[in-house]
Amino acid sequence: MEGELLTVIIVVATALAFDFTNGFHDTANVVATSISTRAMAPRIAVGYAAILNFAGAFISLQVAATVASDVVDPGSITLLVVFGGLIGAIAWNLITWYFGLPSSSSHALIGGIVGAMLVAEGPDAIFFGEGIVGKVMVPAVVAPILAFLVGGVTILLLYRIVGSLRPAPVNGGFRGGQVVSGGLLALAHGTNDAQKTMGVIALALVAYGSLPAGDPTPPFWVVVSAAAAIALGTYAGGWRIIKTMGSRIHKMDSAQGFAAQGAGAAVILASSHGGFPLSTTHTISGAVIGSGAAKRLSAVRWGVAGNIVAAWVLTLPAAAGIGAMTYGVTRAFGTGAAGPVIVSLAILAGSAYLFMKRAQQNVGAPAASEA
Amino acid sequence: MSLASIVDWDALLTVVWASVAAGVGVTAAYGFVILGTTRALELGRQGRAAEALLFAVVGAVGIVAVIGAIALGIVVLSE
Repeated sequence: MEGELLTVIIVVATALAFDFTNGFHDTANVVATSISTRAMAPRIAVGYAAILNFAGAFISLQVAATVASDVVDPGSITLLVVFGGLIGAIAWNLITWYFGLPSSSSHALIGGIVGAMLVAEGPDAIFFGEGIVGKVMVPAVVAPILAFLVGGVTILLLYRIVGSLRPAPVNGGFRGGQVVSGGLLALAHGTNDAQKTMGVIALALVAYGSLPAGDPTPPFWVVVSAAAAIALGTYAGGWRIIKTMGSRIHKMDSAQGFAAQGAGAAVILASSHGGFPLSTTHTISGAVIGSGAAKRLSAVRWGVAGNIVAAWVLTLPAAAGIGAMTYGVTRAFGTGAAGPVIVSLAILAGSAYLFMKRAQQNVGAPAASEA
Repeated sequence: MSLASIVDWDALLTVVWASVAAGVGVTAAYGFVILGTTRALELGRQGRAAEALLFAVVGAVGIVAVIGAIALGIVVLSE
């Protein structure tokens, strides 16, 4: 039992670390538009986003319920499966970060859990149809397209409504509006992404025996800790953005920023209410591309859109493969805490190596422009 | 097992219409807030009080719609 307690502590800590990196990684998506249009000063935008990320995590538990109940069979879950899934997601995020590929933390998490479960219990323990396809894959395709269309229609409508006015009050008005739309986007991000971690911790607690498999609703301490981890990650990620701002974010007008944030927030919040654990990164990107494409097709970096499509195809199977491999390695050390301890140390060493290598590559390199 | 039977189309359609209503509706309403306040100020400066009042009402209706829709959305989400 002591070994199991140590394992569950490692798994929960790993899940919260994943949540932190999710916030750290996604800060740019949430605040870039407000900063780019000068609607908010970087420091204020980041602090504001962190607070609303925290608040958003308390709005609903529908996505957490989907992750805990509808992706894999909670009755067959073990702590090593959850651990393998989390490491699969973290490793894939690190690899894609190192090579500069766009990646969805959400899809990586679900892929990792599915891969580990597949090796541990076989295909019968995975809800491929209604769970993976119905609640993850179809919404993964629908949400960014929907955000693209809503963003596009919205900006066309806004230009029609305010097109005859002088630019100065219009820009000022939309910058003011971005305080609200940016806040809603941060709230939406906290709602959908923090809940995925809550769902995974709930699965770990089911495996540990402290939650029933029939109703794995996350307890309040899980909600608070997941909210805090994503908010801290957002804040920490923001400092990196503040340091590297300037040339790195391309310009868009304040009406486009407002339309993109409004569209992204609407799609993510509506999906969260439906219990769909979608990629907030892809959805926000869809809205930004939509608001740009409606104004001028050539303004859009279609290469970025192509990379997002490639990431859709790659992330689930790649994270599943790493999750499966991690489960296999961890299981080789038995069912106790030895495997998770050794794998955690290995992943920490690997992360440190990648960060150092990346830092060495960045020394002296000119700042690249990115969307 | 077909795609039609494994996807919860009702929930997905709800996401689609709610996203369109909230995304397009709220942002368009905010566009009318900017239109109404900007025009009301301009016309007020020109001494055209009746027209200024009309645009002020457009702006006020817009802001009520935006605040009401956001409040309603958060209440629905937290239910």
